Amino acid sequence: MEGILFPHGIVEGREGLKEYRVRGGYEALSKAIRTPPEVVVKVVSDAGLRGRGGAGFPTGKKWQFTREATGGESRYLILNGGEDEPGSKKDRVLLENLPHLVIEGTVLAAYAIGAAKAYLYINANYGAAIKTITDALTEAKAAGYWGENILGSAFALDIEIVPAPHNYVAGEDTAVLEVIEGRKAWPRQKPPFPVTVGLYGKPTSVNNVETLANVAPIVLNGAEWYRKFGTAESAGTMIFSLDDDLKRPGVYELPFGTPLRYLIEECGGGMKSGEKIKAIMPAAPSSAYLPPEKIDTPLDHNSMRDAGSALGCGVIRLVAEGSCIVEEVIKISEFFTVESCGQCPACRMETNTLTSLLRKVQAGQGGPPILEQFGKVLAFNKGKGFCNLIAMPGPPIESALKLFPDDFEAHLSTGKCPVKLAPHQIRKDIADYR
Amino acid sequence: MSRTCLVCQNIDCKSRGSEQVMAELEKRVTAKGLTDVEVKPYMCFGACQEGPNVVLYPDKHWYAKVKVEDLDEITDHLAGGPHVQRLDTIDSSLKELIYQLLDTGVF
Repeated sequence: MEGILFPHGIVEGREGLKEYRVRGGYEALSKAIRTPPEVVVKVVSDAGLRGRGGAGFPTGKKWQFTREATGGESRYLILNGGEDEPGSKKDRVLLENLPHLVIEGTVLAAYAIGAAKAYLYINANYGAAIKTITDALTEAKAAGYWGENILGSAFALDIEIVPAPHNYVAGEDTAVLEVIEGRKAWPRQKPPFPVTVGLYGKPTSVNNVETLANVAPIVLNGAEWYRKFGTAESAGTMIFSLDDDLKRPGVYELPFGTPLRYLIEECGGGMKSGEKIKAIMPAAPSSAYLPPEKIDTPLDHNSMRDAGSALGCGVIRLVAEGSCIVEEVIKISEFFTVESCGQCPACRMETNTLTSLLRKVQAGQGGPPILEQFGKVLAFNKGKGFCNLIAMPGPPIESALKLFPDDFEAHLSTGKCPVKLAPHQIRKDIADYR
Repeated sequence: MSRTCLVCQNIDCKSRGSEQVMAELEKRVTAKGLTDVEVKPYMCFGACQEGPNVVLYPDKHWYAKVKVEDLDEITDHLAGGPHVQRLDTIDSSLKELIYQLLDTGVF
């Protein structure tokens, strides 16, 4: 299937500047820099590009807000490559293999919003990606694609790499600002949003790596071309990550709207163990489970929402028939308990209480009334945290309760897991969700 | 049947002195010879603005904005004295949520 970022399927190996130029690399920048920045914002808006970090916010709109914000002369562009969603590999793949595509997108975005400084915020564990980007930045600067007087224009941009701490909330956009400013990765209360009060108090656009990788192809080929991929509401392609439960784990770039079945069966080859699918989590670990009957749901934001789940950043996890959903969600709940940064009391209360409740269920304690407590705890804490982590344990837990009540009741009535788990079905600890 | 005094220890309540409240409450309970009462930390009752909170369970009494000066009265209540009405300020819906959680054995 034809792709936008990887036109001929995912190719491993760093694409050098020469190869990138041969396929039209940096032509988008040469073209854009001779037009007003508003033209870049418009083409990205018209193309319908939405953020690939999970929220799906329209990129053009974010840039417009950043341009229009009144916060003085300085503006900042941040490429967010924190990528701490467990199982997500797409940003690493882009940074390691297509560094110039990412850099060109970054320079175009900075030009569009009027930023003189861009930070590349990259997961500190991604040593190879940081090396690849560092080398590519050197090549690109020597060729005049960033620095002073870019391609002979008056536009100047400085770019700096900042290693991102390896914890879940460190990828949250306001936590990114805190880290770059030299503090710990604690999200800020919103509003104000970074587009108005961002880095050092200035208007800032924080964009995911995959989002920015889409910018050069859009600018070069136009909005109409881009809209040929995907659906009306979710234009373009998205990179999906499949984990080791599938025969062919890895990353796959597919147009939005492709049926989930195609990704799981054609790309991933189905479950490695040959077992049937009991449940699908389309945006692990924070989305609702879908029953296997929903396997034909199109992979786009609206269809997934209508099916009762979400698309997130495209990390798909499968639960095998014969495994126990209680054992699955307890690991997810533990993950959020550990990853809660702890600054909002409600988030600590919620994540700790949910995990305690699940452990009680697992041990067969509390009786059926315990199952009614999950929804109450979630409802009580709704909207009380600075960031969205407080909303994340809800969909997996509530959908598991709704779809698989028998697993919960079996634990409660016997005090042990209703199924004997095969070794491959046991996620040993929360590290498996990293 | 043993009784429990749960004292919230979330960051907010700690900043309001809940660690000292818990330590002092333990001393008073021991001094009064209330051997059936155990003082234990609890993550959070969701009433941070009203903290530190002390919840007596299974008696189901909730005392909010507890200061060290209030602990003698609370200990008297545990020993069979009167309920400390002025510290009973939490709304009933939150009490119900937390009491139901405690009934499931989550502490």
